[in-house]
Amino acid sequence: MFSKALFKQSMKAHWVKWLSVTLSTCIMLAIVIIVLGNLGINDIRDSLQDVFTQADQESVLKENAVDGYEVYLTSVELEGTLQNADESMLKMAYPVLINPFNTRVNAYKEMHDGQEPEGDDLQAIILASAEEVKAIIGSLGGEIDIIKDIPEDMLLGFLVEFYNVYNQNPFSQDDEQFKDKFVSVIKDTYLNFIYTNAYNQYMEQEGATVEIAEYSAAQMKTIITNAMASYQAPVGEFDREPYKAKASEEINMMMYNVAYQTIYAQSIAGGMTEEEAQTYSGQYAVASKVLSNTAISTYELWLNELKDVEDAKTQAREYAIQSITDQIPEKVAEALSELGNMDIYSFIIGSIFYRIAGLLLPMVFVIMTANSLLAGQVDSGSMAYVLSTPTKRRTVTVTQMTYLILALFSMFALLTVTSVIAVWVSGGNSFAINYGQILLFNLGAFLTMFAIAGFCFMCSAVFNRTKYSLGIGGGLTIFSLVCTILGLFGSSVVPSAMRISAMNFFNYLSFITLFDTVSIMSGGLDYLWKFGILLGIGIVTFIIGVFRFDKKDLPL
Amino acid sequence: MDELIKVEHLTKDYGDGRGIFDLNFVVKKGETFGFVGTNGSGKTTTIRHIMGFLKPQEGQVSVMGLDAWKDSCEIKKYVEYVPGEIAFPDLRDGTTFLKNQAELLKITDMTYANYLCEKLQLDTSANLKRMSKGMKQKTAIVAAFMSDKDILILDEPSTGLDPLMREIFLELLEEEKKKGKTILMSSQMFDELEQVCDRVALIFNGKIIDIADMKILNNLPYREYKVEFKTREEYLKFKKLKFEIVRDQEKYNQVTIKIEKTKINRMFEILKNYDLKFMSEVKYNLEKHFKMILQKEDELLQEKKRIEKLAKDHTPVIKNTLVRRIISKKTQEQKKEQKKLHLELKNEKFFNKDEYKFHKKEDKKQDHENKRQQKIKEKKEKEGK
Repeated sequence: MFSKALFKQSMKAHWVKWLSVTLSTCIMLAIVIIVLGNLGINDIRDSLQDVFTQADQESVLKENAVDGYEVYLTSVELEGTLQNADESMLKMAYPVLINPFNTRVNAYKEMHDGQEPEGDDLQAIILASAEEVKAIIGSLGGEIDIIKDIPEDMLLGFLVEFYNVYNQNPFSQDDEQFKDKFVSVIKDTYLNFIYTNAYNQYMEQEGATVEIAEYSAAQMKTIITNAMASYQAPVGEFDREPYKAKASEEINMMMYNVAYQTIYAQSIAGGMTEEEAQTYSGQYAVASKVLSNTAISTYELWLNELKDVEDAKTQAREYAIQSITDQIPEKVAEALSELGNMDIYSFIIGSIFYRIAGLLLPMVFVIMTANSLLAGQVDSGSMAYVLSTPTKRRTVTVTQMTYLILALFSMFALLTVTSVIAVWVSGGNSFAINYGQILLFNLGAFLTMFAIAGFCFMCSAVFNRTKYSLGIGGGLTIFSLVCTILGLFGSSVVPSAMRISAMNFFNYLSFITLFDTVSIMSGGLDYLWKFGILLGIGIVTFIIGVFRFDKKDLPL
Repeated sequence: MDELIKVEHLTKDYGDGRGIFDLNFVVKKGETFGFVGTNGSGKTTTIRHIMGFLKPQEGQVSVMGLDAWKDSCEIKKYVEYVPGEIAFPDLRDGTTFLKNQAELLKITDMTYANYLCEKLQLDTSANLKRMSKGMKQKTAIVAAFMSDKDILILDEPSTGLDPLMREIFLELLEEEKKKGKTILMSSQMFDELEQVCDRVALIFNGKIIDIADMKILNNLPYREYKVEFKTREEYLKFKKLKFEIVRDQEKYNQVTIKIEKTKINRMFEILKNYDLKFMSEVKYNLEKHFKMILQKEDELLQEKKRIEKLAKDHTPVIKNTLVRRIISKKTQEQKKEQKKLHLELKNEKFFNKDEYKFHKKEDKKQDHENKRQQKIKEKKEKEGK
């Protein structure tokens, strides 16, 4: 079933073609990967992504500024509430808050021979008490406004904080300065709560560090302390107006400081000199201050209009979260964000090189070689010299098929080695395409060529004339390639700005479509069954070729 | 097993009257069988069937008792082949090609191949693509002959060879023949087939029209001579003698006569009395033989075509009557011509009865003389014993 002499003859006849195609394809691939890899063609994507993240940061900053501003004014108001609180009212609220805690502490003491609860035990008691109070607080009247004003999801945290502070500084209803002590515990709790809140809020942001978060929270705490201290008892009802300017100024300043600290730390970490970092963060900080100011003014305008704090906040927030992308038409925004998300390496290496450019030369090799392995020799008559020796037709076809497959396999083995080296040179796994993906690309390209080789071989075995074998085998193969090129303009890898979806029709006419580079890049498994089909096409066409050649007339 | 190649009812119709139709022939062991025919008559198609490259539509080809199509690989163990169309594999030079071919044939000993190259004066180191037609042909011959198998199938093996080289090739074929090999060759050269073959088949339009046995053809009982007379009188005088005239060229005072071998001497006797311009023997060879057959065949074909054309132009009802009319007209014309000839002969002025009688007497005398001498010989032999 295999003739060594014939195999050698085929090698001798085609090695020059094989070598030139293999080398030029390898060089092309190396250039595509290495040179493009070092040019940094993903810069556009990166800068676009920068724009979008910056826009996101801006909206967060604006939101924080409005929140801070509102907290500032609320805090001043709270100070007023606390200062003007009626002692008898506070005394009514006290047992509701404290009794559940005291009861639990006393029960604990009895069980542990008068020992004070500490550590985890204490925290457990605090949590249980807080939950109990949270459950009954809904039924309370207007005794403690401050507690009632806290949103429900924060209430538990606030109560836990309250018990912690109380535990360190306990007081009873009968104390001489009951009101002062109660108010101070509430105030401490409030300030600690503000601190924790600010800290958590900052930590949610991208690129947050503990130092900056602590700094930002401390800033907030100071500002609120100052705000509360600045309260002056009014004649009538509390009026926000006198505090607004100060609030705005303080919050803006805080935004400035926090932004400065953040950017400075990042710039130093990014390798800037101190001087550069100072200039850069200074600029950024001023910008932040301006943004903060804008956000607060907008909020104030909305507040004047709507007269309701929550509504105004919603409006201001909606305005604040509008980023650049919201301000341009939807289609353009989509195109831009797609361009931002597009990976130009996988586009050029996967969709352009492995499916089109890199396939062209091997395709030419396969078309020419498959033809001259059978049809060419039958047409010219040189096959007579092989078949006039005791060599079966089956032996001829199997040998020639083996040669064609091995030639392709060795070609793609070299291509794989080249591509792996090129990826290694371009930075290994940190490169846009990792080793696994580049191996799958090579495998896919090989299987595609295997299917094409099978098809061309079948044509070569079926037809006695070169013109038909080349015309149909080569013609349909090149047609497939051209369809892939045209279909590219309709496929999802091309940004929608350049895409003509009707062109996607061409993808259904080409069997290179079964080589799914998009699926390989996105990490799906769709490519696997498509590989299976390619392999199937190859095997079936090769077998048809072998059997047909056995049974046909040969004009030798 | 005496019939090495057997072709029975072999048919391959390519349409439009092309192809081969119901071929039957046998090539016996040690025999050299020739194929001759015009271009496109089906020689190569027949050979391709024998080689197992084509599947017969009908009929059967067997080589060494094996089916040529089904056991085509097995057959190749006994068959060497020189294809009609010379195209070599895509290899560098003749040496590489012959080595490759030896590998396919599983030959390790190249002494016979080298002997063949030397004999055909072939330089194998030449580039295959740049070889002249003759060189290619010689390379193909060496590639086939070097395996030294029992059956040789040669499709126009001498095309492209210069006359001297053809002689050497024919010598080579004689050598192979002496080894007892069976040879089947097609050719367009009658003389080389005459020289080598035992039997020659003539293929015309896909049918074997005639198979000529060279032994019979070379030993025909009669000879033909072409004679030209100096004067018309003598020409006419000679024509009146009872010689069988095959061809008559009045214009040149020429006649071609056919005469039995035994009577040649007497013919010369008679011709002594005539003033001749020249005289030569017209050899009856293969070419002449087949030309004659082909002429007849061609006439038949022309007639058939004419009738077919007429039939095409007319409805079937009229067709039969038309054909009959044509045939009757033809016979009438022939009869008229014969009558004319008779009349001419009767009215001939130079008709001389006496001379004719003299010749007759002379003939009788000669017969007597021969008989007498034979008797004397027989007597002498008896006495000797």
